[in-house]
Amino acid sequence: MPSTATSLPAPFTDLEPWVADWARPTRQERYDMRLSKTFDELAAFYDAIAPRAEEAIEHLNALDLNDLDDDATRLLRLLYSMILVSYAVNVFHQPRIPDSGSAFFTTTAEPAV
Amino acid sequence: MTELQQRLSTGRGKFTPDYPDLGTGPVDYEDSISPEFFAAEREAVFKRSWLYVGRSERLPRPGTFFTRELPGLASIVIARRRDGTVNAFHNVCAHRGNKVVWQEHPQQESKGSCREFACKYHGWRYGLDGRVTHVTNEQEFFGLDKDSLRMPPVHCEEFAGFIFVNLSDDPVPLRSYLGDRLLELEAYPFHEMTQHYGFSAPIRGNWKLAVDSVCEWYHPPYVHARFIAKDIAQAEKLVPPVDAYHYDLFTPHMLTSVPGPPPLPPREPGTAGPAQRDQIWVYKLFRAGLFGPDDVPDIGPLPGFLNKGNIRSWGNDQFWLFPNLSVQIWARGFYITYTYWPQAVDQHTYDIDMYFVPPKNAQERLAQELVVDSTIEFAMQDVNTIEATQMGLSTRANQHFHLSDQELLIRKFHKTVRDTVTAHQTRSAEKEG
Repeated sequence: MPSTATSLPAPFTDLEPWVADWARPTRQERYDMRLSKTFDELAAFYDAIAPRAEEAIEHLNALDLNDLDDDATRLLRLLYSMILVSYAVNVFHQPRIPDSGSAFFTTTAEPAV
Repeated sequence: MTELQQRLSTGRGKFTPDYPDLGTGPVDYEDSISPEFFAAEREAVFKRSWLYVGRSERLPRPGTFFTRELPGLASIVIARRRDGTVNAFHNVCAHRGNKVVWQEHPQQESKGSCREFACKYHGWRYGLDGRVTHVTNEQEFFGLDKDSLRMPPVHCEEFAGFIFVNLSDDPVPLRSYLGDRLLELEAYPFHEMTQHYGFSAPIRGNWKLAVDSVCEWYHPPYVHARFIAKDIAQAEKLVPPVDAYHYDLFTPHMLTSVPGPPPLPPREPGTAGPAQRDQIWVYKLFRAGLFGPDDVPDIGPLPGFLNKGNIRSWGNDQFWLFPNLSVQIWARGFYITYTYWPQAVDQHTYDIDMYFVPPKNAQERLAQELVVDSTIEFAMQDVNTIEATQMGLSTRANQHFHLSDQELLIRKFHKTVRDTVTAHQTRSAEKEG
């Protein structure tokens, strides 16, 4: 595969370095990733995607949500990860919720997309 | 008071004195730490109340089913029959007691669609009503009354798409149990909210302490301080005043109504402004927050049973269906169910299920994701407080505790549980006497 290959829609190829970690299909995997990172790593991801988020929402809004291709689906999942990471970066200033001990909610139902 | 607090204040005064039988004195929490009380509560409350087991959307067609493991109570199958009605029965074979319906792991719940249930052990089969339809090598048995063989039935009724079961022999009908005030919920379009996000957590605390943690609005500036403001003194100024809420009791059930911020006005795409490390900016970008999406789906006019206390800037009504279900209906067109399944005096499973109108586009889908994630981040903060309270209470170092007017529902809820246990024990003693 050539080094310019990307798995995101054309206008968002610069976000490709974040796909491997953050375009995960389930909320559980995205949360596990959040907890596995340092604050600086989470902030770097947030700082990379936040300036592109509104453009990404507009791009995805023009598509049929129930018929997204794989590239668009990955972009949507990056935005899900941005939301999950935003609490760590903006609210708690650390990956975990402070004082959260061993508490954790497993996901028992989530939409396919 | 701050400007926000002045705007929301009603000058209503205290609620608790309206209910003289509740008293205003200190309470104890033996009902949350005593193993003897836990056993009595299981008999009197959980084996004799209508218990919510799932939404009817889980059974879209005849032949669809799901199983539930109700800890310490029962293992049951809930199935839709050919005539479209929903029924429930114990997940126990009439032959030698094997659990009939399960996949891969006998301990786990399962779901699916079938014409008949077949026992994995010796191939006995049962219809969608739990009656035996096939006994393997029937002629080898001795005087079998095949017509009477079945997976034992469990009382099962539906209300507004909520499926309930009752494990007692002769329960009052579900609608009588719910009463007029809760029957009003039938006017809400729950069936339009099929976009489901579900969560479950094991909690090392008594189930009633978890209920306590979400039926008072005294804790948010402390437990959830970081969401509200950077320092607690500021957070205290940003929450609604104590008289901005509404409470109602219709024993054994109850209600709390909560104020919330109005949705942000519509904005043109591309106007969220430069990215900031600020959660307010994230809410503005995705057009959503804890109180729901800013673009509210059209579900018709608000039914009159909501916000009966006419609180200003209404956020949600949280209906508590005794004993262990809360249905929280939000002003911004979605609802959440909270369910608490006790396993031991100091342990329960806490389920949170959120339901939205299916999103029309990515922006609506992302707004839902933000509401869901916010709800669970808040809930995880509440969970740890429950575990810490259980640890404190179980030492019995303090045995008298103090409830303010804002904690009316806690005072009421524990009394309802204790009264139910006492009434059952009195009835049992009379029968034996």
